[in-house]
Amino acid sequence: MNKVLSLAIKDLRVLISDRGNVFWVFGFPVIFALFFGAIYSGAGEGPSGMEIAIVNEDNSEFSSSYISKLESDDALKIVNLSRQEAIERVRKGKVAAAIILNKGFGDGFEALFSSEDPKFEIASDPSRKMESGYLQGLLAKAQFEALSEKFTDRQWMKDQVALWRGELETATDLDFEDAELYLKFMDSLDTLLTDANDDSFVTGFNGDILNFAQLDVNREYEGPITAFQVIFPQAILWGILGCTATFAISIVKERTNGTFNRLRIGPLSRAHILAGKGTACFMTCAFIMCILSIGAKVIFKTSINNFLLFIPAAICTLLCFVGLMMFICTLGRTEQSAGGAGWAIIMIMAMIGGGMVPLVFMPSWLRPFSHISPVKWSIYALEGAIWRDFSFRDLINPCLVLLAIGFAAFLLGTVMLRRQDD
Amino acid sequence: MIKAENLKKSYGATVAVDDVSFEVQKGQTFGLLGPNGAGKTTTIQLLCGLLKPDAGKITLDGKTDPGLIEVRMSLGVVPQALALYEELTALENLRFFGKIYGLSGQKLKERVNNCLDIAGLAQRSKERVSKYSGGMKRRLNMVCSLLHNPPILLLDEPTVGVDPQSRNLIFDTIEDMRKEGRTIIYTTHYMEEAQRLCDKVAIIDHGRILDMDNVENLITKHGGPSHIEAEFEEKSLDINKIKPFIDDENLQYEESKIRFQTSQPMESLAKLNSSGMRFNSLKVQTTNLEDVFLNLTGRRLRD
Repeated sequence: MNKVLSLAIKDLRVLISDRGNVFWVFGFPVIFALFFGAIYSGAGEGPSGMEIAIVNEDNSEFSSSYISKLESDDALKIVNLSRQEAIERVRKGKVAAAIILNKGFGDGFEALFSSEDPKFEIASDPSRKMESGYLQGLLAKAQFEALSEKFTDRQWMKDQVALWRGELETATDLDFEDAELYLKFMDSLDTLLTDANDDSFVTGFNGDILNFAQLDVNREYEGPITAFQVIFPQAILWGILGCTATFAISIVKERTNGTFNRLRIGPLSRAHILAGKGTACFMTCAFIMCILSIGAKVIFKTSINNFLLFIPAAICTLLCFVGLMMFICTLGRTEQSAGGAGWAIIMIMAMIGGGMVPLVFMPSWLRPFSHISPVKWSIYALEGAIWRDFSFRDLINPCLVLLAIGFAAFLLGTVMLRRQDD
Repeated sequence: MIKAENLKKSYGATVAVDDVSFEVQKGQTFGLLGPNGAGKTTTIQLLCGLLKPDAGKITLDGKTDPGLIEVRMSLGVVPQALALYEELTALENLRFFGKIYGLSGQKLKERVNNCLDIAGLAQRSKERVSKYSGGMKRRLNMVCSLLHNPPILLLDEPTVGVDPQSRNLIFDTIEDMRKEGRTIIYTTHYMEEAQRLCDKVAIIDHGRILDMDNVENLITKHGGPSHIEAEFEEKSLDINKIKPFIDDENLQYEESKIRFQTSQPMESLAKLNSSGMRFNSLKVQTTNLEDVFLNLTGRRLRD
């Protein structure tokens, strides 16, 4: 055991003597966690500060009021442009959409609700439906707010009533009785507009468009509570993958520069030497897990839900990748070839296993392929302990898969290594 | 102490070691002399158990399995390639290899310091090996195999590519170990090294041992005659006065100079001196292992 420890300590010394190794093994996973943790922590809040261009061809009092309503909305960033400039910006993707207020936009109810002659246009990319829908909601809100202000203008309302009265009197498609009824309603409305005192007029016509009370209900989370909980297992995996590649290459390096043979000549079995490498790899990966766990707690205020399950999940993950390290080191006889082949395999495993993009964001047709990647099972096992609230029984399945992959890879690796050496 | 019997090792169609047999007695220094690719390194790798022979038998100190821990503990192997951790210091390398051989505590410290002294690296022991010169690395490569005081040493071309200073230091170390009574197998393609260090030399080429004996006997058997060239004070030499003192029928002469071949140069010189003639100059060109190799293979060692 002392000899295995000596081998492992020597490997750790060699590892930390190379700054490049230190970065890829220790630094990269931390940067990965910080970077993607920060990115994903903004997810789920919807698009904020959507930039849109406004073209005001109406230049009426109402259109100015409407634009100022839009400008006051935090969800939008408004830039005033000419029609040509606005459409060009949409085309180049510099703004999400362009709103064009045509001449007549502020002429009254007719202009706003006419279905025959639209008084404003939305220019946007048809493929971005979610953004467009979100924008339409914001525009409607601003439109009703601007209109609500108009209702408090007594003269404007009287003018509208006079306009509608004129249209009713000249309408040819209405029954006489219906026309009489509407004209009586107009008389009443006119009386109201004339007689109502200022306070009740303003209060009555200028209420909130949507009158609702906010009820704060804390959601019961079935998924991760914070974005970092999603990133945490991925960051751990990247640390382990970096370690796996580094130690696999270090075995090849030992074989090419003769130190592996020097050790074999000594009073060590091949199993001793490989156990030393495996121990060093295991210890380094465990250290990375500790760093990230502490970082998760201190920086992202994220903790592991079930630490007792995290330990077996972590151990099975580490054993799996130690086994894979042994296999990867046999893929080439030089550091370059083993490194190239090793990283290619690692990248594929990470890609299909959810190491780069969480599985939930992957296309459904690609997800079944993830079953063959140990990265998927590792993330699944770690997530089980971190936020999925696994029971011990739930954890057995991914852990057994990891141990099986690790054992098979270790066996294959040692057999291939023996063949290559002999 | 070391016995190799009919060893054979092939890599596909290439026969690296072909029916090699030799025996090295305790305290003897045995040289394997041959050009690159002759099969020297493969033979060493067979002896230390790194390779398994296709046929043949190896006996090391009475044991026939080089893989046994006690056999490995009795071996010190200096590989031809520099097998060191260049990212670590000399001290760290020695400590690590010492621990692998079961040394610890004060004993480890003493052995490490001793080896650093032997290698002349005590002053620079805390520098990374990557910063060392080729010679320093060679010296460290050698002493890493001496840490556990092995009674048997297998040195595979330990002086390849080193400066004269390091070379002499390595020679001195090996000679010290000879005096200590260790059994040494030394491979080289430098005939001067084999001649200087080895009690017994095997000439090896294309995986086969061509002959094996002590240096003197090998030269006598295969080196051919030595050449003696003499210039006399007498300007017009009467060759008939000289002939009775020279055995060689191919005697060549010109004015005051003669040149002849002899298999026993010292005796021939003594005989020539007894002629009473006075010399201006005398040159003796003796044969060496290079001539032995040339005569045995038709090629030079460094061809």
